[in-house]
Amino acid sequence: MNIPLVLNRKNRILLKELTKTDFKLRYQGSVLGYLWALLRPLMMFAILYIVFAKLLRIGGDIPHYPVYLLCGTTMWSFFTECTSQGIQAIVNRGDLLRKISFPKYIVVVSATWTAVINMLINLVVIIIFALINGVTPTWSWFLVIPAILELYILSLGIAFLLGSINVKYRDITSIWDVLTQALFYAVPIIYPISMVADTSVKAAKVIILNPISQAIQDIRFGLITHETITTWNYLGNIILAFIPIIITFSILIIGALVFRRKSKFFAEEV
Amino acid sequence: MKRQIGNRIEIQTNGDIAIKVKDLHKSFRLPTEQAFGLKQAIFNRLRGIKGYKEQKVLRGLNFEVKKGEFLGIVGRNGSGKSTLLKILAGIYYPEKGEITVDGTLVPFIELGVGFNPELTGRENVYMNGALLGFSNEEMDTMYDDIWEFAELKDFQDQKLKNYSSGMQVRLAFSIAIRAQGDILLLDEVLAVGDAAFQQKCSNYFLNLKSHKQTVILVTHSMENVRKYCDRAILIEDGKIIQNGNPGKVADAYTKLWQ
Repeated sequence: MNIPLVLNRKNRILLKELTKTDFKLRYQGSVLGYLWALLRPLMMFAILYIVFAKLLRIGGDIPHYPVYLLCGTTMWSFFTECTSQGIQAIVNRGDLLRKISFPKYIVVVSATWTAVINMLINLVVIIIFALINGVTPTWSWFLVIPAILELYILSLGIAFLLGSINVKYRDITSIWDVLTQALFYAVPIIYPISMVADTSVKAAKVIILNPISQAIQDIRFGLITHETITTWNYLGNIILAFIPIIITFSILIIGALVFRRKSKFFAEEV
Repeated sequence: MKRQIGNRIEIQTNGDIAIKVKDLHKSFRLPTEQAFGLKQAIFNRLRGIKGYKEQKVLRGLNFEVKKGEFLGIVGRNGSGKSTLLKILAGIYYPEKGEITVDGTLVPFIELGVGFNPELTGRENVYMNGALLGFSNEEMDTMYDDIWEFAELKDFQDQKLKNYSSGMQVRLAFSIAIRAQGDILLLDEVLAVGDAAFQQKCSNYFLNLKSHKQTVILVTHSMENVRKYCDRAILIEDGKIIQNGNPGKVADAYTKLWQ
C-alpha cells in the first residue's frame, strides 16, 4: 500500500498555484471579472424567486423564505460546480499529466476549490441578507460548517469516481449534466419539503434521505430557521438519519479507491 | 527512505548508481476504431471485439546510469526513447521489469509545461515554478534573474499569447534551468532560440557536465551527443542495440538508414 503524502511541501505549492490559476482563468476576459462569482447565483436566485415565490406562491409559510431559497440555490450551485469541474479536471489538465509526474488527485482538488471560494463569497452574501431579513444570529450558525463539509466530501467523492471513468468514457460529462438537472428537482430547493409531505409522507422521507437534501436542510436549519424540516427531526429514527452520512462517506471511499487504481494510467489514456 | 510504486522504486542512498533499469517492458493499448465513448465500448464487448491493439514499445531494456554521468539516449522516431524517458520520469508505469531511482529526479519532457496563453508572463513564471516545486517566496528571489536570462524584461506583464514562440521557449528554458535535482531528464530542449541564446544553453550544459551533474539527455543531434555525453545508448525497436562510447553510438545511429 502506498498512500501519497497528502500535503508534502511540493504538493501544497502545486495545489495553491493550480487553484489560483483556475480561479483567474475562470473570469478571464470578462468585464465584471470576479464579480460574476457573486452575480451568477444571485441572478439564478432572482429568477427562481420570481417564478416560484411570486408567481406560483410556494413557500409562503416558511419564515424568511427569500433567504431560505437563496441558501438552497447557493449550496446547490456549489454542489454542481464542484462535481462538474472535478469530473472534468483530469481531462482538462491532460497536458500536465502527460508531461510531469505528480499525485493526480491534486488536479481534482484544485478544480473544486474554485467552487469552494465562490461558495464562501456567497455565504457572506447570504449572511448579510439574513441579517437584513431579520434573522437573529445564534450559536446554531456553526452547524453550517459540518454540513458544508459533508456536501464538499460528497462532491469530491463523486468527482473522483466519475472523473476517473470520464478519462476513458467522455460520455460521463453529458450524463452527469442531465443527472444533475433531474437531481435538482429531487432536492427540496425551490419547494418546501412540507409540500411533498402533504401528498405523501413516504416520498418526503425518501427525499430527505438524499445526502444533498440533508446537508442543505441542515444549513437552513442552522442559519435561518429552526422550523426547517431536517433528516434529524423528521424521520423520528436516529439510526435511519445516519443513512445520508453513510452514503456520503461510502461514495468518497469508493471514489478514492477507483481513482487510485485508475490514476496510474491517466497519463496514457487522457 | 524507500518508496515503491508498482515496479518503480525510489530511494536515497550514497551508492554510485543513480538509475538502474532491469528488463523493462512497456506496451500500449491503441484503440482500433472509435473506442471512445460508452456506446462503442458496449458494442465492442457484445461483439467480442477487444477494441484495441497491443503495441509493444519497449521490449526488455537493461541499463544503468552512474551518478555524475551525462548519458545520451538516441534512436529514430518511434524507437521508444520518449516512452523510456516518460517511464524514468514517473509519468508512465512500466508493466514488467523494474526501475530504481536513487535521488530526486527533475524531468523536462517539454519546456513550458502548464504555460497558459491567457495569463501574463509573470503569472506563468510562478505557475511553471510551482510545477518544478518552487514556492512563491523562492520564485520571488530568482524572478529577476529569470527575466534577465531570457532577455525578455520588457514583456513581463504581457499575456503569453502575445509572445512569439521563440520568446515563450526562452522564458521556459530560463525557468527550467533553475530547477535543482540529483538527476535531470532532458528531452530535446537544446534547440531553442537564436544563435546567441543557443550559446547560453550550450554553456549551461557544459556547466552541468563540469559540475558532475547526473543528466539523461534524449536527442537527435549527434553533435550534442559527441559534445556533452560521457556515454550513449542507441535504441531501435524497443531494444538497446548499442551502449557505450558516444562517438561510436553516434556513428551507429547515422548508419541506421545508410
